[in-house]
This record gives sequence, structure tokens and C-alpha cells, in this order.
Amino acid sequence: MSETLLFVEDTLQIWALQFMGTVYFLRLLWILHFKAGGDRQAPTGRGTSPRKGILYSWLNVAMPWAMESTRKRAFMYAQFIIFHLGVVSAIGLSFIIPYAAEWLHSLVLVRVLQVSIGLAFAVGVWRIIRRMTHPVMRKISSPDDYFSLILLTVWFFFAFLSVPNNHQDGEGVLMTFFLLTAFFLVYVPFSKISHYLYYPFTRFYLGRTLGHRGVFPLRRTS
Amino acid sequence: MSRNSRSYKAERVIERLTRKVNRQMALSLAACVHCGMCTEACHYVLANPDDPTYAPAYKADRIRRLFKRHMDWTGRVIPWWVKAGSIYTDEELNELMDTVFGKCTNCRRCSINCPMGVDFAVVNRMARGLLVSVGIMPEGVAVVSKDQWEIGNQMGVLKEEYLDTLDWMSEELQQELKDPAAIIPIDKMDCEVVYSINPREVKYDPRTIADAAKIFHIAGENWTMPSEGWDMTNFGLFSGDDDLGGAVARRLYEKVEELRGKKLVISECGHGYRSTRCEGPNWAKYDVPFVMESSVITMLRYIREGRLKVDKSKNTIPVTFHDSCNNARSCGLFEEPRELLSLVVEDFREMYPNRSENYCCTGGGGAMSMSEYTPRRLKSAIVKAEQLKATGAKIVVTSCHNCVDGLTDLIRHYKLDMQVAQLVNLTANALVVEARVAVPVEVPAAVPAVEAALPLHGRRILVVDDEPDILTFFSTVLGDNGASVTQAPDGATCMDLARKEKPDLITLDLSMPGMDGGKIFEALRNDPELAGIPVCIITGKPELRRLIYDRPVPPPEGYLDKPVNDETLLLNVRKILKLV
Repeated sequence: MSETLLFVEDTLQIWALQFMGTVYFLRLLWILHFKAGGDRQAPTGRGTSPRKGILYSWLNVAMPWAMESTRKRAFMYAQFIIFHLGVVSAIGLSFIIPYAAEWLHSLVLVRVLQVSIGLAFAVGVWRIIRRMTHPVMRKISSPDDYFSLILLTVWFFFAFLSVPNNHQDGEGVLMTFFLLTAFFLVYVPFSKISHYLYYPFTRFYLGRTLGHRGVFPLRRTS
Repeated sequence: MSRNSRSYKAERVIERLTRKVNRQMALSLAACVHCGMCTEACHYVLANPDDPTYAPAYKADRIRRLFKRHMDWTGRVIPWWVKAGSIYTDEELNELMDTVFGKCTNCRRCSINCPMGVDFAVVNRMARGLLVSVGIMPEGVAVVSKDQWEIGNQMGVLKEEYLDTLDWMSEELQQELKDPAAIIPIDKMDCEVVYSINPREVKYDPRTIADAAKIFHIAGENWTMPSEGWDMTNFGLFSGDDDLGGAVARRLYEKVEELRGKKLVISECGHGYRSTRCEGPNWAKYDVPFVMESSVITMLRYIREGRLKVDKSKNTIPVTFHDSCNNARSCGLFEEPRELLSLVVEDFREMYPNRSENYCCTGGGGAMSMSEYTPRRLKSAIVKAEQLKATGAKIVVTSCHNCVDGLTDLIRHYKLDMQVAQLVNLTANALVVEARVAVPVEVPAAVPAVEAALPLHGRRILVVDDEPDILTFFSTVLGDNGASVTQAPDGATCMDLARKEKPDLITLDLSMPGMDGGKIFEALRNDPELAGIPVCIITGKPELRRLIYDRPVPPPEGYLDKPVNDETLLLNVRKILKLV
């Protein structure tokens, strides 16, 4: 393995991670500088509470039956899960290769990662097409939306190819994957991809409010 | 205007935006990933599938772009990359108004369908408030807000009118129950219950006050109604004006405290319940020391405690229930109405989807007061109409006055064979009134119905208005005074009926979808057969008066501004008909 690849796999990633961590920290401070709205009202509804509401809200992502938007569109939920599992796998891969490369001697793990990342790549392509062709998606999309999605999809592609960690036949694929990873880490805090930083907060506040008001957990009959 | 200079109003909006955004709003503005999952949650989208500008994410982006441009670093540095942008002209502010007032009822259905937890309704309300703060709002919102600020209630009901109505309802109750003690107590101190209502009940539907009074009386409740500060509705919720919201809520809370009431019972009104029970304490920064509950819960409690006896066989017509967005999606009030219905009606049919997932009646968020958006509203109402139709019910019950109006309008528009009722009506109808110990009561003998003595006896009047409440109100007042009344909800019907019936008088609204009142008036005057029929213009838009008088036809015989009470209406009609 070349010194350059070693640097890109390790040192560069640490620098990028540090940068991302710093910007995220600043981002958190920015969010926290907004005054949080309070709630003086006595609770409404039955059998729920802010705590239950928050828990329900946080776990919402794992309950496709909870929201009509995911309940009625199973494919949308499935592609969401596949895409995000792919992200987790590709991030995991970026740590496994420099720090636990021997794990990739396991053919099972290699296949699991390849399937996960490969499917996520397919979803990424589908998402790009949807974003470019669906009238609503086109209307609401910004350059950042397109770029972030394309970036991730290309990243999946190189992650998929990098899974075997085979640098004997050339380092181009691995080099590209890790350079993309580093760029990704630096770019994320400025893009929509940083949504996962907000997720716990948005769902916390929505859950707290609607739990206090007896709405969360949602009840329905259908 | 150049991109370097901003109009005064646009400047104020930007300035206030930075002060108004709190953490929850900032997160909702920052967290959207444009996944599009909210799209089909919105009834406007479902009714307009080819128009992406109705998508909640798109509508939110009209506000989000400002936030990003002025408050978020990426948007400040590379605005085009994240579609950030500012606002410079009053025209742009008007475009924003069209979105936040005319394309969203703040029903919150998209909020509960957003995987990220983006609460668009809160953001939309905030944007409404910013526009209102610089005087940009639909005219109806301005009129209603003004009434609530200045007169103390959103329909401009005067104190005398309110007290007269309560007196009238007291008399009706005494006669119905043959009990002199059956009155509506006003400003009684130290009561268990202080009952607050929607001014619409005074203006158009006093029967609901009488029904509630009957329930309180039979339940043996120690209750009262306040002489002032009785309006539990709050246009601040719709206009986004927290100052108005706080002032209105405070007025009510302080009155209850002044009366030393133990509990504030809020009549059936979705936005009133939410504003008074949930949002009011926050807007007014008021720690409310008494209990507040919906009259639905009160009625249910009375039945469970054995204070009311009901017989569901008195309500046999199939009934369905429409969940008000504010009640169900913002206050968790959805099981109690069903429990009450199960006690007072025989045939209840669930509507799907329901509870927190129910669709808006399309009249929410103040939409009923924004007549400029009526065609848009009625188009989106197809979603609700289909929901209603699928139940097979003949009565749709709702615990919200806005929903009553919205549903009535769409039922008429889509020609559904249904009526709208509230729980208080059905509960009062199901009451089993036990015989009381006979107390000699001086009940005024029924006045013989000498129709000829009625002031408008024999007169035929055509009432033209697109608002069903107004049609009902005018028809009732004129009919009760002996007139033979026909109704026309639009211009075409008006012209047909005028030719067929040749009425003695036409009362004509100006702002109506399709053929507006000005055109109808001119058409009437230009038709030799109809030109001689006196016309009384009755409008909520006084500024349109000039447009009527500028027309090259003889002016109308009468002109009244809404809101108009029964006495004024009657007096003017009699004057025009030369009966006084």
C-alpha cells in the first residue's frame, strides 16, 4: 500500500472528521442560540405525556405503520431503509479498511457490505431519477439536493468496489473512495446531509408538544 | 424596485423574522430534506395533483428561503446553492401572502407525516404573523382581527346584542322546560362553571346556546356566562398575531378570575379550544389558575355521573363524526366526542381516515373569512366530500364552528345529502327530562299567529349570498317577520329566481365566486323585467361601494355593511319596502 493511500485512508480522514466535528459543534451552538419555546398549558388528551411523545417521535423512524406517508407507501419506506443502511455500511467500511482490514477476510461480511451498499447505490440512482422527473421533487429541489444525492450515490459506487479492499491490483478505487469520504465529511455540515444532526431535535420538540397535548402516540382506526 | 433597496414592509418583515424564529421553528426550517413525503398528506395537493406549488415542502420553502438567506450560514454565503433568497417588494410579500393564507389551512396534517418532524403549520403561522405585522393580509383577516381587537369578539357582536340573545334563549328555555329557574345566569360569582362561546352562536346559531343552557340546567350545574370577555375564539391563531392571541386569551382568563369561576368550559369550537386551552397561556404568558375543558368532556362527564339521562333512540339518523384539526391534531381531543356519540346516537359510522389523520374541513385556518380563496377552498374540498360520502351518513357531527361552516359549504357545493350538527345539539335532543315538581309558572300565553300582523307579511324577498350562514340568518329574520323568502347562493341562481319569482326585494352580496354582486346588480338593472325590483346591497366589503355607485345604472335602494344584526336588517328592508 502506498504512503499516499495510507495518508488518505487514515490521517486525512481524521482531519476531515475533526473538521466535521468542529463545524457540527458550531452548528449545535447555532441551534441552541435560538430560544426554545415553552408550554404553559395543562396537558390535554389521555394516556400520554411529553416523555411518551418524545419516545414515540424518536422511534417513529422504525415504525413504518405510524405515519400514513410511510404506511401507505411501503416502497418509499423500504428505499429509505436501504439507503440509510447503505450509508451506515459505507461509513463502517471507511473505518474497517484502515483499522480492521482483517475483518474483510470474512466472505460473509464482504457480501453483506456489498449487498447493502449495492442496493443503496441502486436506490440512489432511483432517487436521482425521481428528483429529476417528478414535478413536485423538481420544484422543491435545490442544487444542494441534487449534488448531495449524486455525491452519495457516487460514493456508494466506489464503496461497493472498495469492499474487497484489494489494493494490489491498483489503488485508484480505494483512493477515490477515501477522497470522496474526506470530501463528504467536510461538505456534510454545509449541506442537507446534515439533517441527521437536526433529527433528534426536531422530533424531540414535536414529540414533546404533541405528547403533552395527547396527540402522540397517534391513534387511529382504519 | 432595485435589488439593492427593499420596501419598508419587506425590511420590517426581514427584521421581525430574525426576532420571531424560536428553536422549534429554526429546526423546522433547517431540517427539511425535500424528500417529498409530506406531499400527499395535504388536501390541496390531492385536489390539485398537477400543481406542485401546493406541496407542503414547496410552500414551506417560500418561508425557508428567507430564513436561509438571512439566518443560515450556507444561505448567506452561497444562496443559490440552497435556494435561499430574500424579499424586496410589496408584490413579493403579496405572493407570500397568497401561499401562507391561500394555500394552507394550517391543519398540521403534513407535520405528522413528515419523517423529519418538520412542523410546517407552526412555520406557516409564523409567516402569517410577519405579514400581518406589516398590514399584508387578506381583507377578511383584517376585518375580523379588527373586530376582535376593538369590539372584543371576532364577529363584532355588541354587548347589548349578546345579552339580548341570552335573554331570548333564557325565555325559550323557560318555556320549553316550563321552569322559571331555567335561565342563563350572567356574571354570577363563584360558580363551578363559566361557559364561554363562539360569537357565531350569538349571530347565527343561538340554538346551540339554548341547547347548552338546557344541558347545564338539567345537570343541576352551578354555572354562569360572562357579560364581557365571553368570546373563546381567537383570530390570533389564524392571523399568526401572538399579541392579538394573548390579548384575547387574557380577556377571557381575567373575566373568569374576576367571577371566581372554578372551571372554564369552552363550547364546541376547534380553534377556540386550542387557542384558549392550549396556546392562550403561552401567548398571554398567563399561568391559568383554573381548569379549562371542552364542553364535549363536560357533557360526557354529566352523563357518566348520572346527572344527565339520555335516550339514544331519539337520534336515529345515521351519523358520522368529523375531527376538527385543532381538536384532534393539536389537542388530542378525539376519543371523548366518540364516546359521547355512542351514548346519544343510535347509528354511528366512522369516517376514514379519522382522529389525528382526518382531513381538514377545508374551512380551517381562517379560510372561511378569506372569500378571495373560496374557489380554491371548494376545489380542495373534494377530498372531504368523498370522505363524507363514503360514510353513508346523513348527519356529519363536528365539534367546531369553523368546521360547521366549512362542511356546510362543501356539502352544498358537492350536493351531498347531508346535514351538519354539533354534539350539543344531539345531546340536547337525546335528553330525558324528568318531570319536575309542579311550580306555578307564569308562562306568557302563546301569541296567536296572526300572520297579517307581521311587518313583512305577503312580501317576497330573494336573499343572495354565497355564505350559507348568512343565507340562513337573513332568511330566518325575514321569514320570522312574515316574508316569503327564497335563497340564491350565486349569481346565476339569482337571475333565474328573480325572473321566475319577481320578488319585491333582493338582498345582494357583492363578493361571491363566479358572477360577483356588482355584475348581478348591473344585469338586474339592465333587464327591463327586473329593473324595477328594489335591491339592497349587503356586503362585508364597504370599499366596494364606489364600484356599485359608479355603474351606469340607477343606484341600489339600500346599502348595508356586514356584519348586520337582525334589527338593522329588518329596519332597512321595511324602509326600502316603504313599510315604515
